Amino acid sequence: MQPPEVATELFVLLSAILFILGTLGVLLRRNAILVFMSIELMLNAANLALAAFARQWGNLDGQILIFFVMTIAAAEVAVGLALIVAIFRTKKSINIDELHLFRH
Amino acid sequence: MELTLFIIVGAIAVLSAVLMLISQNAVHSALFLVLNFACIAFFFLMLSAAFLAMVQIVVYAGAIMVLFLFVIMLLGAERLYPEQHPRFPWMVPAAVILAMVFLVAVSLAIIQGEVDITERAVAQPYIRVVNAVDQLEAADVYLDGERSASDLGYGEASEFTIWDRGRYDVAVYESGADPDTEAPLTTSKVDLNRGEAISFTAVGTRADPQLVIANEDLSGTDRSDALRVTVVNGMRSVQMIDVVRGTDADESAVLIDDLAYGAASNPTTVDSGLTDLSVFSEGVRRDRLVTFEDRELAPEQGQLWVFSTRYQADNSFEDVFLALETNELPAFGSPAAVGLTLFARYVLPMEMVALVLLVAMIGTLILTKDMVGTRRVVRRRLANPPAELQAPVTPETASHTTIEG
Repeated sequence: MQPPEVATELFVLLSAILFILGTLGVLLRRNAILVFMSIELMLNAANLALAAFARQWGNLDGQILIFFVMTIAAAEVAVGLALIVAIFRTKKSINIDELHLFRH
Repeated sequence: MELTLFIIVGAIAVLSAVLMLISQNAVHSALFLVLNFACIAFFFLMLSAAFLAMVQIVVYAGAIMVLFLFVIMLLGAERLYPEQHPRFPWMVPAAVILAMVFLVAVSLAIIQGEVDITERAVAQPYIRVVNAVDQLEAADVYLDGERSASDLGYGEASEFTIWDRGRYDVAVYESGADPDTEAPLTTSKVDLNRGEAISFTAVGTRADPQLVIANEDLSGTDRSDALRVTVVNGMRSVQMIDVVRGTDADESAVLIDDLAYGAASNPTTVDSGLTDLSVFSEGVRRDRLVTFEDRELAPEQGQLWVFSTRYQADNSFEDVFLALETNELPAFGSPAAVGLTLFARYVLPMEMVALVLLVAMIGTLILTKDMVGTRRVVRRRLANPPAELQAPVTPETASHTTIEG
């Protein structure tokens, strides 16, 4: 097996960039669905870093962790979208700036 | 070549993420996110995570994004609300500054972290134990006091197990012996390096056993009509042996040359097929010691060959040929390897993740059910309004009646 041609650093750097883009999405977008999508982007960026380090150390534990992250992401999306639908039915809006539940 | 691909696909990934962020239509955002997921799946392939690449496409780009699109369409939320009046106007610069700080910090950590990228990406060392000691019917083998094989009969091999790199004391005991109090039959020191597959082969007799460290090659051969063989000489009466295909000591038929007692050969590629295998003594006299007839050598599998001698009670002896299969390990990141690791070491976490999924499912149901319940109460209230609402409205009561809702 030859040494990897693309260095681990590059993958981790790309993963950091994607993660930051996801963070910006969470902080800046006001649409709840867009916020959820940004969270998915962040999870994927973390997965990319995990895969890169799994190859680096020749150890499958990182890939197993990606598997778990994917499962948890699926559960999170299911619950989160159900919440969004529930909120939309009561508030007629999914703009997270208008969702201040404690002020009535 | 690979680097060019990485740069192109990486650029697509970043671009699609940015477009997802700035796109005003939520459906477009979702589609850009699908593109981004496809790029990540491509990177998984580059990182030899083939199984995860497929799961990424099926679960993320498929199932999860369909869920997103479904909800967007259900709520009619594809047109986003105008965002010109954010409640926290200071959040935009704060988020950008935070992001930049984080990017600089991570970049510094990556650049100065001295990640050793030249090291070969190979697995941890694998070891197994083979008992070929005459008159030792069952053996226990310990590495640094930790048992790696127990109750290993003559001619048996343990499964390959993964160990950390490092220097180990290997000790062979009679089965059932207490390693703290009893002396081992034989010990040896060994360095385990990454990517190695070692068969500790104990040969000799019970009175004078010897531990042979046989390095094996688990990767299999490129040819479909050959197998990879490591040979261990455990024939005590002969100092040096040759292993020959057929019965004549023809130069072209020699598979293994000059193998001393207690030594292991390098992994050698051997043609498969039905053949006789002969062992010749090497030295002053060149004799054919024994021929093992009609051995079927199956292709595409590795084998460890141990030649040893067993003495009977009446001092007669027989030569024994042990052919132990060396199973080809699943390639790094392949579905088989991931599944094996998942089921061998991560059963409990997997069960817990399954539990989380179940809880999520129930949670989703309850969220929806609760909504339906509220609606039913509203409907019942509309059908049977409270008494004060049913009373005819007169000028006197009109000022006091308010409709709650």
